[in-house]
Amino acid sequence: MSKRIAVLVFPGTNSEEETVRLLRACGGDAHLVHWSHGKLLPGFDAYVLPGGFAYEDRIRAGAIAAHDEMMDYVIEGARAGKLVYGICNGAQILLEAGLVPGTGEVRRPTAAFTRNGPVPHFINTHVWLKLAVDPQRSPMLRGLERDALIPAWASHGEGRLAASEAELRALREGGHVAFVYAHADGSVDDTAIPNQAALGCAALVNREGNVLAMMPHPERDGWTFNHPDRRRGNAILEPSGGAVFFRSFVQAVNA
Amino acid sequence: MANAATNVALRPDELQRIAEKLGREPTVVELHAFDAQWSEHCSYKSSRHHLKNLPTTGPSVILGPAEDSGILYIGDHNGERYGVVIAHESHNHPSQVVPFEGAATGIGGIVRDVVCMGAEVIAVADPLRFGRVEDPSSHQRYVAQGAVDGISAYGNAIGVPNIAGDVYFDERFDDNCLVNVVAMGLVKESEIIHSYAPKDANGWDIVLVGKATDPSGFGGASFSSLTLDAADEESNKGAVQVPDPFLKNVLMRASYRVFAYLRERKLTVGFKDLGAGGIMGCSAEICSAGGYGATIDLDAVNLAVENLKPEVIAIGETQERLIWVLPPEITADVLRIYNDEYTLPEIAHNARAVVIGKVTSDPRYVLRYRGETVMDVDIEFLTGSIRDELPYTQPQVPPGAGERPLVTGVQLDELLERVLGHRDVCSREYLYRRYDGVVRGCTVLERGAGDAGVLAPVPGSPLGVALAVAGNPRFAKLDPQLAAEHAVYEAVRAVVAVGGRPVGLTDCLNFGNPRKPDHLGEFVVAIDGLARAAAAFGTPYVSGNVSLYNESAGGKAIPASPIVACVGAFDDVSRVVTMPFKAAGSILYFIGRPQAALGGSVLLDELGRHESVLPRIDYDLVRAQHALMARAADANLLRASHKLGNGGLLVALCEMAFPTLRRGHAPIGVQLDEPWQWTHGAVGDLEALFAETGGFVVEVAANDVEAFEGFADDVEGVWEIGVTIDRPVLAVDTEAFDLHRLRDVWSAPLREVYP
Repeated sequence: MSKRIAVLVFPGTNSEEETVRLLRACGGDAHLVHWSHGKLLPGFDAYVLPGGFAYEDRIRAGAIAAHDEMMDYVIEGARAGKLVYGICNGAQILLEAGLVPGTGEVRRPTAAFTRNGPVPHFINTHVWLKLAVDPQRSPMLRGLERDALIPAWASHGEGRLAASEAELRALREGGHVAFVYAHADGSVDDTAIPNQAALGCAALVNREGNVLAMMPHPERDGWTFNHPDRRRGNAILEPSGGAVFFRSFVQAVNA
Repeated sequence: MANAATNVALRPDELQRIAEKLGREPTVVELHAFDAQWSEHCSYKSSRHHLKNLPTTGPSVILGPAEDSGILYIGDHNGERYGVVIAHESHNHPSQVVPFEGAATGIGGIVRDVVCMGAEVIAVADPLRFGRVEDPSSHQRYVAQGAVDGISAYGNAIGVPNIAGDVYFDERFDDNCLVNVVAMGLVKESEIIHSYAPKDANGWDIVLVGKATDPSGFGGASFSSLTLDAADEESNKGAVQVPDPFLKNVLMRASYRVFAYLRERKLTVGFKDLGAGGIMGCSAEICSAGGYGATIDLDAVNLAVENLKPEVIAIGETQERLIWVLPPEITADVLRIYNDEYTLPEIAHNARAVVIGKVTSDPRYVLRYRGETVMDVDIEFLTGSIRDELPYTQPQVPPGAGERPLVTGVQLDELLERVLGHRDVCSREYLYRRYDGVVRGCTVLERGAGDAGVLAPVPGSPLGVALAVAGNPRFAKLDPQLAAEHAVYEAVRAVVAVGGRPVGLTDCLNFGNPRKPDHLGEFVVAIDGLARAAAAFGTPYVSGNVSLYNESAGGKAIPASPIVACVGAFDDVSRVVTMPFKAAGSILYFIGRPQAALGGSVLLDELGRHESVLPRIDYDLVRAQHALMARAADANLLRASHKLGNGGLLVALCEMAFPTLRRGHAPIGVQLDEPWQWTHGAVGDLEALFAETGGFVVEVAANDVEAFEGFADDVEGVWEIGVTIDRPVLAVDTEAFDLHRLRDVWSAPLREVYP
């Protein structure tokens, strides 16, 4: 029997439907769990936190949601080794909750996805994510090739990784930077980074490898119809592109 | 000008009519109610009889312009007929005064018009017209930035992708910007909810849901039907509403949950957006449209602050509110969904769903407040159509100059750079990348990827929907009627360029003061133009909006601005055609008609010349060309396509090449034949390269040429103009221009306004 994935809906979440849809297309038994039903969460095997503006991004993106009752269950599950994946606002919540990079205490963040640079505006731009660690680093990454390149959309106003110099060094040396921004040909330089993120970081993983926080949205480039210029043939209703990561995640959940 | 004694905009003859009908002087609440309902904004009193000339019927029309939005049929999936709900509005006056809030509430309002038809909102679009923004400290720059930020903040938060839009800058928008907004929704035909109380609704509950009523937006309807006076700017700010996209996000999702509840029980109810006229306007219209009256208890309304006057509660335009008409046996369940499951009271201060009144069989509209009746009028008299026959004069279109433009001493490369850097041509990417264009995960073509935005909105189905907007103020200054036709032609052309089938239109008519005969004359002839073009393309109007009084206190009016949105459909969205060149060695065709008509072109604007001849539209020819485009797209013969628009042919070619210059891609350039080789001298070279006559550029693979030319055999106006090459240059005969440099010129101007 496949394992059950909860896709959490906070007040202000806006990407829940497409996240569930792509998880299901990739073989996941995914269900929306709405903030009024948070008590159902312990019954699930894995958690996905989708994008949006939970609690209106008050104070900082993710700061209020990290203290929502639903996060008590997610924190408990993460400690027990359940897989947790946050996208965009979901990633911000995981950092605010201290689950990623997990180098400090719970709900005492040591790094943040914060206001974009150089201009502090929301950006919506297509990006490529390059796998920056060994696929064995996390169960969620095992379905990917080494140096895998994944298409996604950066759609955020607060996506720039920021932390102290010491913490950034620890993130680099501890293999926490799971994905970096890259060009379409896989090359990596500063011009590929849409928001001036430190280390060119697009996604962070915790030490244990069971919690991953990704700023860009692979589910927005997750079907062949999302990228008509890269299609082969006419099977436009198939998952592809960013779905490669979703598939790897689902395989890890079901393993 | 507002009537100082009453602070309402009603005229003496209207006041007299009200008193005669009531047989007494109106109460203060009644006065404000008629002021709102009889404003141009609500009543279309000086425009409705002209609008009836627009075609509104056709096989694709599921619902024409009668309710909050129109609905167009796009195709079937799993035995269900699917429609797109489309609405188009302006939020011009508020955006000129407080641009962020004004534009944000524009998106908020148009989204509610779509939601209340029982639809999920799937896209928004934003045609914008701003004044001169070169001066960083100008109010015009503040408006241009604030409006875009407001649209971005609101649309992004509610999770609706922005997939289409345009922007023009002109001094005649200095005192009156235009912020038009379009929203599109998806609904099964069997699940449409109407904006009227249904059959046998006598005694049903009237339920108000959303934000707690506050004093914001009082007098909004009549405010937007007056001209803007700088001296009143501070007091006008009070008429602008306050947006809350966070609450709207939850309100939309809770409403979708109510839709599911109603589907399970197969219930027919009424649902309507609160816009102009607030609780009074909405509850009166939803009941009157079903042939009923209503009694509303203003004390039941959830308020944000104590002790609001009854006219403010009844008529104020607090955002994020809707009204349901529900059979009493399900009211408790619906309140529970909003208030408990979706916790509205915890989302925003005192937000909730509450019962505020009853539908009555007696056709009276009655408001009670603290035990007293503060309004009691014939509901038909309140909401029925009123009409102002205002005089107008035919606009003078200057006769054609008839001579070829003489451009001497300017090299082609300089002309091309000046046109690419023109404010109406340069890259819009810095503006639209502030908008989330891909939330919901069903975007096929985002802004910049094609001439129209395209979605695959039905999960598991290959059905596609396209959306494009158009309206060219440079054209309108010369000839409002022909400019209106071009607005339709350009919006339709954009849908055809991506391989879509145009199915219908919306229009937003932004004009000056209808009490000035020359301004009203522009409005009247523009409607003739809109009607003519829509009839020619077989694309009816299913919704629209009129925004008049776009005139400053000094009497300076905007250019006639008929702005059109076109909806397209795809049976199979895999047939979509994108804009960027795909490979070197392809053959390039121009499908169109070269004309010696540079009037309204960017080239002449850049040269400071104003030839008066606009390109004409030969509808028979254009229809044949559109049919060719559809056949070629269906047969998968078009590698890339792009409509000719602002700047003309060379600009179109550059825009197809620029995306290939991105890092990690192989650059693709153009070798263009000298124009006389394919125009045979019918027009001058500059006219061939820069006239804005419409048509398309398409890229066809060398081994598809035979098939393509077979289709094109009996179609006039298909010209082979050159080939794609594997170098980043645009070569016109023997002159070669560096595409990287041209891209930099094209990219730079708006970066400063939208860093």
